[in-house]
Amino acid sequence: MAGISGILAFDKVWNVNKFLKYSLIGLQHRGYNFTGVAVYNEGKIESKTYNESPEDAEVSYDGWAGIGYSGSRKGYPVKVGGIAYVVDGVLKENPEEFAKDLLKDPERALENAKGVFNLIALTENEKIIAYRDKFGLRPLFLGGFGFDLGIVSSESSGINVIGGDTKREINPGEMVVLERFNVESKQLRVERKATCSIEYIYQSRIDGILEKSQIYDVRIRIGEELAKEWPISADTVVGVPDTALPFAIGYSRKLGLRVDLGFTRTGSPIRTMIAGDNFLKVVGVQLKLNPIRSAFFGKRIVLIDDSMVTGTTLKNTVFNLRKMGAKEIHILIGSPKLVRPCPYGVEVPSESDLIAANLKDEDIAKVIGADSIHWLSIDGLFRSIGNKDLCYGCMGGIYPG
Amino acid sequence: MQRVLLIGDGARENAFASALSYLRLYALSSFINPGIKKIVDSSGGKYYIGDINSQEFVKKVKDDVNPDFAIIGPEDPLFHGISDVFYQEGIPVIGASSKNSMIEKSKTWMRQLMWKYGIPGRLRFKAFSSIEDAAKFIMEYGGSVAVKPSEQVGGKGVKVVADLQAYLSQEKRLALSKSVDKIGELVSDKVKVIVEERVDGPEYTQHVLTDGQSYLPLPLAQDYKHAYQDGIGPETGGMGSISGPSSLLPFITEEEYEDTFDIVRQTAKAVERETGEKYKGFISGQMMLTDLWGPTVIEYYSRMGDPETSAIIPRIKNFGEVLIRAAEGHLNKVKPEVVETSSVVWVVSPLGYPLDRTIARGKRIFVDVKKIEDFGCQVFFGSTSLEGGQIITQGSRALELVALGDYNEAVKKLERCVSFVGSETRLIYRTDIGKSIDDMIEKAEIIRYSYKKRKSKGTLGISADWSPNGGMW
Repeated sequence: MAGISGILAFDKVWNVNKFLKYSLIGLQHRGYNFTGVAVYNEGKIESKTYNESPEDAEVSYDGWAGIGYSGSRKGYPVKVGGIAYVVDGVLKENPEEFAKDLLKDPERALENAKGVFNLIALTENEKIIAYRDKFGLRPLFLGGFGFDLGIVSSESSGINVIGGDTKREINPGEMVVLERFNVESKQLRVERKATCSIEYIYQSRIDGILEKSQIYDVRIRIGEELAKEWPISADTVVGVPDTALPFAIGYSRKLGLRVDLGFTRTGSPIRTMIAGDNFLKVVGVQLKLNPIRSAFFGKRIVLIDDSMVTGTTLKNTVFNLRKMGAKEIHILIGSPKLVRPCPYGVEVPSESDLIAANLKDEDIAKVIGADSIHWLSIDGLFRSIGNKDLCYGCMGGIYPG
Repeated sequence: MQRVLLIGDGARENAFASALSYLRLYALSSFINPGIKKIVDSSGGKYYIGDINSQEFVKKVKDDVNPDFAIIGPEDPLFHGISDVFYQEGIPVIGASSKNSMIEKSKTWMRQLMWKYGIPGRLRFKAFSSIEDAAKFIMEYGGSVAVKPSEQVGGKGVKVVADLQAYLSQEKRLALSKSVDKIGELVSDKVKVIVEERVDGPEYTQHVLTDGQSYLPLPLAQDYKHAYQDGIGPETGGMGSISGPSSLLPFITEEEYEDTFDIVRQTAKAVERETGEKYKGFISGQMMLTDLWGPTVIEYYSRMGDPETSAIIPRIKNFGEVLIRAAEGHLNKVKPEVVETSSVVWVVSPLGYPLDRTIARGKRIFVDVKKIEDFGCQVFFGSTSLEGGQIITQGSRALELVALGDYNEAVKKLERCVSFVGSETRLIYRTDIGKSIDDMIEKAEIIRYSYKKRKSKGTLGISADWSPNGGMW
């Protein structure tokens, strides 16, 4: 998973490097193990990959145009000759060959490329090229900063955090080219909209928009749908920070059940989830969620989380809440069951690791140690989002491509 | 009134010419504008080419033509006293005197005037003679301010520093220092920069025509300043505009229209009191609907806006008569016949505009005027000259296409018509103009709620900043 940005100044007197860094910080909720930047200045592109998050990376190249990557994969930007590019998704082409094709004829290269991906490229002929895949699986936005900068970014947060204005979503299958003398767009492939459901449920930032829906509103509606599908007699509802907070608000509104803030956090959120390090992951769980005793003590709790993968995190949480004196713990998940992996680069683990793909509900409850556990239905998800132009392959639906 | 002398060379003047085509039209431009030339030729007039800012040259042309009245389109000739040439000899002219055009030329003068006369829609401001002082002030107060050159230096590469956050960072300071050098070169006044409180909201223009006795507000228009599609890119004179339906815009109410008219009229009268000269010609309020005031003045033009003119004139059936009556001093005897239908204007520019005019200049363009008219649009030529039968770009906005109809319909017509404009260079135009009306309606509704609330509490226009050292501002 990744967030990508591109920034081009219309006046060469600008230096975009700080803007690039802050834009990437605005996207690091999408993945942050690696940061990559490429910056253009007078005839040449300099690029670098950092083994750290954007907020830790010292972006030192100066120039009036640049692109950047924040995500879980090493190797971006790919730089070959007069071009550098970053990708959010899965590009099934030889990276070097593809770079050459992209420089020679961007339209053809993008039309013919295999894989489902969004891309932002920076060229030595002073262009930033942005492309969104024809399914619109992942978001990509176009914006500006006053009369000075043109910006493309995975989410509106990548534009708004640097003081820019988000203008619109780039259409699925559309290519946008930013140059000093023009901003041009072209529909390269016929749109076949299938937006990633996970973007709505937890990936996109809560202040964002997607396909004209406000992410916050969708998540409130998910909470309301959960209340319709699973009205539970309890004393309070608590959402697991940060994503599940609006679920809890929606659930509370619908049922008139009180809502509590149940957790606080230690340290920076991004350092608690470093993937691949199991020890840190266990410790990280404790760091991420420090329960507030009075929210739980002696109460029957509805605890809402955004997803369940292996269940380890939730099991830990439930244990801690019992220890704090929770009387009943009913778990609701604001997403349908994740039962299959994602072929498009969203890091859903393989089926063998997915608890929902392997166990019956009552067994999952046993493993987690909760009194009950329920998921949002697929139809509930459709209703929350307001349409069915979605990819929900990992929930048992059809993969679009 | 038979013989009219038109001064100027852009699309705005082409639109004026079209409204006056039933008179004998004489024109003076700095190059041969193909649209103006066509009307001059068909009306039996004569086309003069030369320096439109030279009093001496204009006098000569005036003596040669002996016009019944004159009309001056752009601001530069006004600043250079070209209208005064006509006033001195008692020839009717539509164009503010050079003294009165100060309302456009100097932002400091304009803001001082508004405060002195207590005109609504005024913003707090501070004038600085150096950028260092301005910067110190901004650091002190933080918050949101807009930094502007104190004088009209339009189209000469000076950028407005809109955002303090960026301004204070090293990146923007570098950019700013360049702008400031330019401001220093171009602004002759002692005051170089003004800092204003920042406001936000939908923008619109109200043009008011006056003969010194009565005031005639024209239908509202809105222009689009960003060079590129979707409102991205450098600042331009305007890449398109919309007007209507009727005298309003969909996001401005009748009451706001009247309030704006009141502001502009009060300003014209205040200018007269300061200069001792009757305000005659156009005075145009570049307005913003804000939660602070409702209608708020961003700046004034002492002439009609371009490309707003192209959206407005085709919507007034008897605009030629309106101009004649204004020149005669009998503006009260004419009622403009405004059509209900709205209009949309798209500007077509050569690649390179507005950043690098050397790239944009000297390119051939091809315009199938007949086809454009067959498909329901009008074309006004701008920065293009007729050279040996070819239409050659002069580096700025080449032409404007106008379509009447409800916004969707007008946009459809323009999409069709723009395909009949070609060039040996790439052409830049914005197909989003006329499309995002609903967003502006929604935004205006929220602002309307806020300023009406202020009005009812008696806090309209009241705002302040405070800093520990500087105190209240």
